Amino acid sequence: MAFQFLSPKPSSQKFIVDVDMDGDIDMLLKTERKNFESQVVTPGQLITSDAQSMRGHGTYTTESGKCAASVAGVVERVNKLISVKSLHARYNGEVGDLVIGRITEVSHRRWKVDINSRQDAVLLLSAINLPGGIQRRKTEADELQMRKFFSEGDLLVAEVQGHFQDGSSSLHTRNLKYGKLRNGSFVVVPQTLVQRGKTHFHTLPYGVDLALGLNGYIWVSKHTTQSSKDQDSDAIYSNENEEIDQERREAIARVCNSINALSRHFLHINDTTIKLAYEASLHFPVKDLLKLDVMEAITSEVKAGLR
Amino acid sequence: MPPTLISPSENDYILRGVDANVRADGRGRLDYRQVILETGLITQASGSARCRLGEGTDVLVGVKVELGAIELDGVEEDVAEIKAKRGRVICNVECSPIASQQFAGRGADDFNNELTQMLDRVLNGPQSGLDLEKLCIIPGQQCWIVYIDAIVFDYAGNLLDTIFMTTRAALYNTKVPKTIIQDSGDGEIIFDISDDVEGWERIEGWDKVPVAITLNKIGSRHIVDATPLEELTTEAKLLVTVNKDGKVCGLQKSGSGSIDPSLLNEMVQTGRSLGQSLIKSLDEMVRREENDINLKQSRRERVEKLGFFAAT
Repeated sequence: MAFQFLSPKPSSQKFIVDVDMDGDIDMLLKTERKNFESQVVTPGQLITSDAQSMRGHGTYTTESGKCAASVAGVVERVNKLISVKSLHARYNGEVGDLVIGRITEVSHRRWKVDINSRQDAVLLLSAINLPGGIQRRKTEADELQMRKFFSEGDLLVAEVQGHFQDGSSSLHTRNLKYGKLRNGSFVVVPQTLVQRGKTHFHTLPYGVDLALGLNGYIWVSKHTTQSSKDQDSDAIYSNENEEIDQERREAIARVCNSINALSRHFLHINDTTIKLAYEASLHFPVKDLLKLDVMEAITSEVKAGLR
Repeated sequence: MPPTLISPSENDYILRGVDANVRADGRGRLDYRQVILETGLITQASGSARCRLGEGTDVLVGVKVELGAIELDGVEEDVAEIKAKRGRVICNVECSPIASQQFAGRGADDFNNELTQMLDRVLNGPQSGLDLEKLCIIPGQQCWIVYIDAIVFDYAGNLLDTIFMTTRAALYNTKVPKTIIQDSGDGEIIFDISDDVEGWERIEGWDKVPVAITLNKIGSRHIVDATPLEELTTEAKLLVTVNKDGKVCGLQKSGSGSIDPSLLNEMVQTGRSLGQSLIKSLDEMVRREENDINLKQSRRERVEKLGFFAAT
């Protein structure tokens, strides 16, 4: 019941010498370091005055012909091509990406899905699995009961199937792994922090399942075995949650808070970092993970663990 | 960006979590998030404060005291008599489109009005605790007008509580210049505003300004400091404004759900006790900040406000 008031902290402008676990200091020359470290720029900041360079996304040419950043982000160089990747950019779907989305609209033979993209994605009625796994053409009867499958607000996990002319993505859920999400809670992180991996479904050893959407939406839920899903395939569109005990709830909350701590400190989010953060967080009670100093302690431990 | 939709399963997860006293972020029902507070960050204003609640909710309040005429046009005589001796408080709350896409264009208009009215209702009555008569300079002619402008930069739930606590901090920070009233002899009264840097006083009654605690009824329980998703699950909301003595200064119920009379009583009591401890911690914080600044000034060190350059 205590209220905690804090003063804001200054951002340190001094160059921090990174000392690793053994007390070794990074001895790269400053000029050499440039080749390894990413360069962070703010809008309007000059990137290069080299006339030979090609301007990519996130850059523009100044009046004097120099290349400057138009967004805040990290500079990416591919040979002569210079582009700036924004930190808070919207998601650009690519075919095969796993995304988590929220239904915003049910319309004629399709659902509109918010996937943190510039435009809502489209999930066609023909791109979903019917309950029971029956394969057939979708009839008018199916069209009339579309809200029984997905209705406004529902969260789902899907794969990007393709793109439309206007740049919006088309999704599909034709796999038992995909579909409606239940038994857990929803976390949003900057999309750039989630990297493509072999799999985006993870089962953490704490009885928690994790679905990392490449669009920065993450679903943390109670672990359910695949076989129980198969048994009652009618239940794939159910809204009913299973019974979740206190311990499991705390584990889910802990994972969510660990992810939030990672995203606050701009660390990549994958199963390794989440596990590290989770283990580091075990020294603290779950609700303390919302505290800024605790978040810092956890993320610095993650950074040390990654080395 | 706060979501506007919630799925039935999320709804159920939050509902059962509240019942089990483990919320989605691990907090208990009556746990508040940390607040980052800084006062006096706007130099052009008479007083200012910025509060950030947990991950998001970022509110900046600027207070400006300006000279103005006492307006008595079209006011009934007995009311005019009271009004002639009083200053005024004018509130305005604005949600920046930075906070959410929904606030872009005219999207925030209704919400702005709602928030402005709430702040105005609480601060523009005897319950506000502000001594409006002290703001009067020459009865019937000149007074101080206190403009309270709040701007919302980010939204992560529990907006009204944050606005109220930021306002209280900003009012503490407000410096009203001292005035010297002189009678020129021929019945005309003239006044001078002190040029002295030290010639200021606090708004009388700032310490009696109430804060708000929003109680969200979810299921048969209630929680404080809701996140956006929890706000979507909320059936009924009760805003309890409390002053430092634990006196209830205002109640507002919103949302479509109902509140049981016994639960209502319980919620008001929770709001009262939480509000009092909130005021205590808030006052401690603003006093500590001021003492630090005074100490630095006495040592002739530079006092720098972080404002928007703060890292966290």
